Amino acid sequence: MNKSENMASSAQGRQLRTMDIVNRGLARRYRAERRFKRFGLSAILLSLAFLAVLFISIFANGYTAFQQTFIQLEVFLDPLKIDKEDLGSANYQGLVRESLAKTFPAVKNRADKRKLYGMVSSGASFDLRKFVQKNRHEIGNTIRIWVPADDDVDMLIKGHILRDVPESERRMDDTQIAWVDHFQHQLRIKQEFNMTFFTGGDSREPELAGIWGAVCGSLYTLLVTLCLSFPIGVATAIYLEEFAPTNRWTDVVEVNINNLAAVPSIVFGLLGLAVFLNFFGLPRSAPLVGGLVLTLMTLPTIIIAGRASLKSVPPSIREAALGIGASKTQMVAHHVLPLAMPGMLTGTIIGMAQALGETAPLLMIGMVAFIVDIPGGFTDPATVLPVQIFLWADSPERAFLEKTSAAIMVLLLFLVIMNGLAVVLRKKFERRW
Amino acid sequence: MKKVLIAVFALTLGVVFGLGTGIGFASSSRDYISIVGSSTVYPFATVVAEKFGKITAFKTPKIESTGSGGGHKLFGSGVGVQYPDITNSSRRIKKSELEKAMANGVKEIVEVKIGYDGIVIANSKKGPSFQLTRKDLFLALAKNVPTGDEAGKLTPNPYKTWKEVNALLPDVKIEVLGPPPTSGTRDAFVELAMEGGADEIDWIKALAKTDKKAYQALCQTIREDGAYIEAGENDNLIVQKLSANPAALGIFGFSYLDQNTDKIQGSLVDGVSPTFEAIADGSYPVSRPLYFYVKKVHVQTIPGMKEFLAEFTSEKAWGEEGYLTDKGLIPMPEAERKLFKENVATLKPLSLGDL
Amino acid sequence: MVRERMSPSNLLLVLLVLTTAGYYLGRRRAFSVVKNDGGPRVLHSRPSYYGALTALWCAVPALVVFCFWLAFESRIITHIVVAALPEEMLTLSGGRLNLLVNDIKNLVEGNIVAGSISPALRAAADHYQELNAISHAALAVIVLVISIGAVLWIQRCISPGLRARNHVETLVKYILIACSTLAIFTTIGIVLSVLYEAIRFFKIVPIHQFLLGLEWSPQMAIRADQVGASGAFGVIPVFMGTLLISAIAMCVSVPVGLMSAIYLCEYADKRFRAVAKPLLEILAGIPTVVYGFFAALIVAPLIRNTGATLGLSVSSESALAAGLVMGIMIIPFVSSLSDDVINAVPQSLRDGALALGSTHSETICRVVLPAALPGIVGGVLLAVSRAIGETMIVVMAAGLSANLTLNPLKTVTTITVQIVTLLVGDQEFDSPKTLAAFALGLLLFVVTLVLNVVALVVVRKYREQYE
Repeated sequence: MNKSENMASSAQGRQLRTMDIVNRGLARRYRAERRFKRFGLSAILLSLAFLAVLFISIFANGYTAFQQTFIQLEVFLDPLKIDKEDLGSANYQGLVRESLAKTFPAVKNRADKRKLYGMVSSGASFDLRKFVQKNRHEIGNTIRIWVPADDDVDMLIKGHILRDVPESERRMDDTQIAWVDHFQHQLRIKQEFNMTFFTGGDSREPELAGIWGAVCGSLYTLLVTLCLSFPIGVATAIYLEEFAPTNRWTDVVEVNINNLAAVPSIVFGLLGLAVFLNFFGLPRSAPLVGGLVLTLMTLPTIIIAGRASLKSVPPSIREAALGIGASKTQMVAHHVLPLAMPGMLTGTIIGMAQALGETAPLLMIGMVAFIVDIPGGFTDPATVLPVQIFLWADSPERAFLEKTSAAIMVLLLFLVIMNGLAVVLRKKFERRW
Repeated sequence: MKKVLIAVFALTLGVVFGLGTGIGFASSSRDYISIVGSSTVYPFATVVAEKFGKITAFKTPKIESTGSGGGHKLFGSGVGVQYPDITNSSRRIKKSELEKAMANGVKEIVEVKIGYDGIVIANSKKGPSFQLTRKDLFLALAKNVPTGDEAGKLTPNPYKTWKEVNALLPDVKIEVLGPPPTSGTRDAFVELAMEGGADEIDWIKALAKTDKKAYQALCQTIREDGAYIEAGENDNLIVQKLSANPAALGIFGFSYLDQNTDKIQGSLVDGVSPTFEAIADGSYPVSRPLYFYVKKVHVQTIPGMKEFLAEFTSEKAWGEEGYLTDKGLIPMPEAERKLFKENVATLKPLSLGDL
Repeated sequence: MVRERMSPSNLLLVLLVLTTAGYYLGRRRAFSVVKNDGGPRVLHSRPSYYGALTALWCAVPALVVFCFWLAFESRIITHIVVAALPEEMLTLSGGRLNLLVNDIKNLVEGNIVAGSISPALRAAADHYQELNAISHAALAVIVLVISIGAVLWIQRCISPGLRARNHVETLVKYILIACSTLAIFTTIGIVLSVLYEAIRFFKIVPIHQFLLGLEWSPQMAIRADQVGASGAFGVIPVFMGTLLISAIAMCVSVPVGLMSAIYLCEYADKRFRAVAKPLLEILAGIPTVVYGFFAALIVAPLIRNTGATLGLSVSSESALAAGLVMGIMIIPFVSSLSDDVINAVPQSLRDGALALGSTHSETICRVVLPAALPGIVGGVLLAVSRAIGETMIVVMAAGLSANLTLNPLKTVTTITVQIVTLLVGDQEFDSPKTLAAFALGLLLFVVTLVLNVVALVVVRKYREQYE
């Protein structure tokens, strides 16, 4: 009896002890829970903080690029110098220079004159030409026209060239600053929204450089990439995950795809050079070829992401569909694919984002190039946004620094739009079961 | 099912359309000039191309930045629209490259020297200013240097600070950011600065006559123990790294110094400061020529070639007061300009014997 | 270019319309065939399959013809035009002839032509244009006949017993198979495009020197009259550098990415998730040039200064800076893909675990994560791949000096960086320096291939135990 009592009490004791252990452990477990949650939150906040730092530094460097300094010139459209029959070929540069010389008649010295003429952009004469071609009745009059200032003047107005450093260390000397002050005093300098930046092609003059050409190039390239990589990627993922028998061949394909994901992007450029340019004879520097190369590059990302999301669709869904008599194709198309779509879209978005930001493979197929004319089709020579950023980042002119950052902002805008699209699509498809 | 079918159909259509148009236009014609080549000549060639495109009715030439080697490879692959018309080069064409080009049917190539590019050694304004000699550069950067007076004796470079190299220099750790061995800038630097410095040591100079190979191996090998940092081809980045690290020196093209005089200072080399004038008159010792090469047969057929060449070789472009000098190109002396302008006008081809 | 009514792109549009029409015709036909025999119930397949079958037959053969025609059209026409050129022009060499043809085509397209236009050239251009028009007209007729013929033929074939679904499904399956073999072709293409140059490299530098060499220093002469300083092509330091930087990057991205994914999936409310997830994905899309600047100008000096105050000797271009920034860049590869996979773990598993009294974090660690593991591993592998293949960040932040070291504070270089700098260098393209780039590419390809094969075998064994 003693024994049984003992047993009972010990059982009770053990029970109590289990509860005690649970209770004692509870605080620790809750602490661990809170710690875990805090880890998660801080991980996200950390990543977002990185993003914020990047964004802020880019914005701080680049927002000034959306403004451009203009100088107002008084130009006498000398009828003797402009042939009314051939408006295009008159010496507009001469007219611009004449006007500057008239504003500062004291400048006589050759070197100073050169500096004076350098106050306005070399694009000024083309603006004047455009003006005259539009308003031929003004010939013979003195007109006032706003022309873009040279990048150095622009930098001075925006405060990127400091006035208080010694003259020898400045891009602009004291006389030049005096000229700028003179213009400013007469209210003949203004800052305006920089339309050229959004409508122009590349240029070696920062004040004339624009990104529209690169944006068009990126659009064409990405269009080709998206049209090819999304369907092919999804099809491959479906085949490998749903249809393919497990045999050697499937293994080979699978290993290949995983391997291609690790191939450095420039090697895809070599492939593009060898296959698309040399073998198929497609034109160099064309968005079509760029798109094809980027397709091959992004395919593994899309396929791997697509397979992961197909894998995560519960087998019960498949069995249910097959159970009520659907064919395999119907099962995949009607039930599995819609459920796997969010993951596939994520993969596609990441892949496309990678394609949008890629420079290295384009180097080999001639898209790292100076192209002024806006591309009009898939086979015109074109460059893309990241290449433009890369080229501007390498330019010596100080003013390209802000253009670089501004171009990055445009690229980011592209990304945000693409991601926004993905969010909308994902919301439509996503569910939890 | 419908959606999937539409997707599948869009897929096939997309593929077909892409390939179809691609192949269809593959053999289409070219009505713009195609230029490839060095990233050093790129900033100058692009200025001319842009001016040319604006002034004339022709399309703006397309200029790729491929590096000199890749440029010559593409350029010398053959004659025809799919090959470039012009290649920029930061060095002279090699004999083997010319031979290969000739074997591929590019028989007549016109060589045009466009001017000089100064190579400057600079550091942050926040740091001390340097008055280097070429000998200092050699002793500070070579892999093996002579120590003591004994001729022929070499030791792996022991110098850690500039003061150890030359007592007149500041007591700063040797840290030089420069181009990698694949760069023409590095090549020119090694040849002009390091060899020039080595020549000031008598027995090395004598070695040049007796054993050229040993001489060059000695002069042209840069140390690899971390004092010389290969920093890639992006000169802007080097400039910005210099302002972040006042102790370091950097080696890069003159135009980047010209644009950043408020941040960095050029070191004097052999007592000469790297200014535009000093490089132009040759008193600054480290500068190298830049070239471009033209296919003669293409001049007849590609629209705008003649006009482009005329624009490039005009005084208002490469002259002493031309717009290329605004971008930092050092003009050639007048006689040389005249010579090359003449060559371009008559399209005098380069022969193997010229190299 | 002279506008034609039946230009290839217009033809493609017409074909699209025809195909759509074919779909509805087929479907209607299927309905009408069984109208009097009991309605669509008696059909073998659902009516839309008959439509799809018609549409496929309408489009596919016509498109094949279309492609082939366009592929060869221009070449054949050029050939005919060239053959008809006057004698003296024919004697030109191949390259010159090509330029002449360019002249003709520029004339046809109304571009500016350099030099004077001879009557012969003008005639050739007219000839070209004429042939082009004929060819396009013929193409239009053939394509339309094929597609309309196909539609009519299928219309006739449609009967209740036609196994339309099976036909369509077989076709779809073939398309899927074709898509999946693209990866094989890509691999073959890559191998072929680097192999030739790599072999040339190995003829100059013996393969064992390349694979086992402990020193990488391609300081070879650029010009022939210079003597190569040292020309060491030992790949091990470069390889170790790649591994070191990738490892640092993974140390950043895996914990941060995985924890982010878990938080987003399991703790965050819907709105926060909807905002945070796409924001994270932006990290993957920022051009690497930007990261490069960030690493070189902000992170690297920071690390160097911190190191200096701690008394460590830090190279100004440390592997750590490049690795950290690269890690940030690939966070979304881990977080977004893991997030999708974690989200897809059935809620019943969580409910079960929670009902047994485990806390939320225990549920995640013991139940959700193991269930999601295959997908997470996929994401991590993708991130590793990206880290190995990344170039710009390393070029800008880590420099190019190849040191054989595991110290993250030293300068290292990676395979991709070497490939890029060697390829775009100023040296002669056929020198071993440039060819080394191809050898490096091939080596990286082979190594990752072996790793992937190993991974596949291991994963398969592991999976067999648990499934």
